Amino acid sequence: MAAWQRSSASNGAPVPVLSVRNLEVRYFTRAGTVQAVRDVSFDLHASESIALIGESGCGKTTLGLALLRLLPKGARIVDGEIRYRRRDGQVIDVLQLDEEEIRRFRWQECAMVFQGALNALNPVLRVWDQMLDTARAHAALSRDEVRERSERLLRMVQLEPERVLNAYPHELSGGMRQRVMIAMSLLLDPQIIIYDEPTTALDILTQRAIIEVLRALREQLDFSMLFISHDLPLAAELADRVATMYAGKIIEVGDVREIFYNPRHPYTLGLIKAVPPIVGELYDISSIPGTPPNLIEPPAGCSFHPRCPYARERCARETPPLYEVGSLHTSACHYWREVKLERQVVETGD
Amino acid sequence: MRQSTPIARAPMIPQLAARRFASVVFRSYALRRVLKAALTIYLVATLTFFIVRLMPGNPVDVYIHTLISQYGFTYDDAANQAAALFAFNPNEPLLVQYWAYLRALTRGDFGMSLVSPGTPVTSVIMTYLPWTLFSAGLGLLISFLLGIMLGMVMAYQREGVLDHILTAAGSFFQSIPNYLVAIVIVVFFGVQLGWLPITEMRGAYSPGMQPGLNLAFVKDALYHAALPILTYVLTTIGAWMLLMKSSTLSTLEEDYVTVARARGLRDGRIMRSYVGRNAVLPLFTQMAISAGFVVGGSVVIEKIFVYQGIGFILLDAINRRDYPVMQGIFLIITFAVVAANLLADLLYSRLDPRIRVSGGE
Repeated sequence: MAAWQRSSASNGAPVPVLSVRNLEVRYFTRAGTVQAVRDVSFDLHASESIALIGESGCGKTTLGLALLRLLPKGARIVDGEIRYRRRDGQVIDVLQLDEEEIRRFRWQECAMVFQGALNALNPVLRVWDQMLDTARAHAALSRDEVRERSERLLRMVQLEPERVLNAYPHELSGGMRQRVMIAMSLLLDPQIIIYDEPTTALDILTQRAIIEVLRALREQLDFSMLFISHDLPLAAELADRVATMYAGKIIEVGDVREIFYNPRHPYTLGLIKAVPPIVGELYDISSIPGTPPNLIEPPAGCSFHPRCPYARERCARETPPLYEVGSLHTSACHYWREVKLERQVVETGD
Repeated sequence: MRQSTPIARAPMIPQLAARRFASVVFRSYALRRVLKAALTIYLVATLTFFIVRLMPGNPVDVYIHTLISQYGFTYDDAANQAAALFAFNPNEPLLVQYWAYLRALTRGDFGMSLVSPGTPVTSVIMTYLPWTLFSAGLGLLISFLLGIMLGMVMAYQREGVLDHILTAAGSFFQSIPNYLVAIVIVVFFGVQLGWLPITEMRGAYSPGMQPGLNLAFVKDALYHAALPILTYVLTTIGAWMLLMKSSTLSTLEEDYVTVARARGLRDGRIMRSYVGRNAVLPLFTQMAISAGFVVGGSVVIEKIFVYQGIGFILLDAINRRDYPVMQGIFLIITFAVVAANLLADLLYSRLDPRIRVSGGE
């Protein structure tokens, strides 16, 4: 399981900005206990971008919320560790922070942009007031500094600051609101920003524009990014590494090219095949059969085995660990050697 | 086609001006609302006028006949007397009367009281209305403010002990008619237990008190208004609490609240400006309706507590068939409802920027 973690440590690499170990999140509902996040571990390094990929309901948003301890009522982190390295080098345990400390941790150290672009801003306050609210909550900047920073960031996300700052959210389009949120996420210069499906509610052209904005910001500013998405090709444009999540577990992690050309988990392979290529044969597209599992009683052994074309008797019995399948590439599949992407993937992005 | 163009253009100019004026009026949310309110009041005033006069055995005729048969007036004398009291001349055509009535109304002239001759209805209303506005208005304000605060507490501590107790109490008091609460207070706490000096608390202020804006008088006025206010608060606070609770619960689900928490805002700030301010918006329409009924809804309560407000005097007028006073009070009630709705709408547009913009202000 810890293969890729070990290698990063033995390289003598610097301490990661964010280090998650064996995180377990449960929803306690009337129907039973939902195991939304199961034994998740990963490292996010300075200036690195990780894409977290998976179907709806696989626990990726829950994981994002858990990192900020923003889980809804009824959900709890029951086990694990979230270690965060501050700018001064001090490593803190996010799960041990008290209410006031976690409040200050949010946005100042780790910001999050949510998928509900249309409704993320308070409808009765102007954008400027919400910028100011955000800064004042952390008492970090003067009014003029907030103004100056807001204007600069809004320009960076291709918005007119004078117009947008004086506007109420309903006067802005969905794409503009999401840009405002992106600008706001950078307001306090956090080390980490979580983008939870930031383009989901938007049309295809706006999606593209948002991705371009994020890409430009990544080049100009220094922050680490956790990009949560169900759209692998989209995420790949922004990510250095990709982590695939299934049934609350991270089942494959690797460099973005490695994952794309050489996926070693049948589920990741299925995700790649499910997306139509821009050039290529359409009959190559196939969806993953079956439905995502019930997380109240996840399947025994490998959670994916009921839907897996490679599954054998052993898969239902034995939970696969994260095997080291390549350089900094791990996969939780007993038969990873057999998993091969047959068709030529069309190159995207670069 | 070519020839018709200049001809068609000429009459366009005044038309255009009129249309521009209309569009200015209709684009301005405030102007549109004021226009609607004025129209409503005008319609009610008209309706009151014609109903009183067109009914068989209308109060004016009844009054004239009473004067003739009981006091031996001649018809002309009786008609003159009636004209003076009702502020119109019954011998004139209806439309002329109607015009005179409207003109009197714009001057704030509602005619004379029948029962106490020589007293204009306006002065009757001016004497009693402030007390109703004071007691019922204060009752509504206390009830509303306390209700939204408790409603928010209930929503924040959902399924807690306080939530269960307040929900039960709220639905209980909400379902009891206010006059019953008033009677229970008078009979049980006043007479049976003798905890409240109800006879002393009667009236709008103590006899011998000099009305004025000083502390002693305000304290006295509050003392006398305490029981009506308590009744209004007890019977309406449940509705505010429950409305605010459900509104807060749905606001708490909104994305911007989660985002505000993610932004690290302090809980107090989120509760006030993000949850509270949005949750209270839908209650304003309700508040408007209630504020309008402040004047009309106090009738029985004021009678029970012998509180000299507009409701007290309305019941009195009904008992004594003082038609001009009744007519005046009904108009005032209408005016209050319309004005409160107007005020709430304008206030709402101040509070909710989405309304403000669609109104083009």
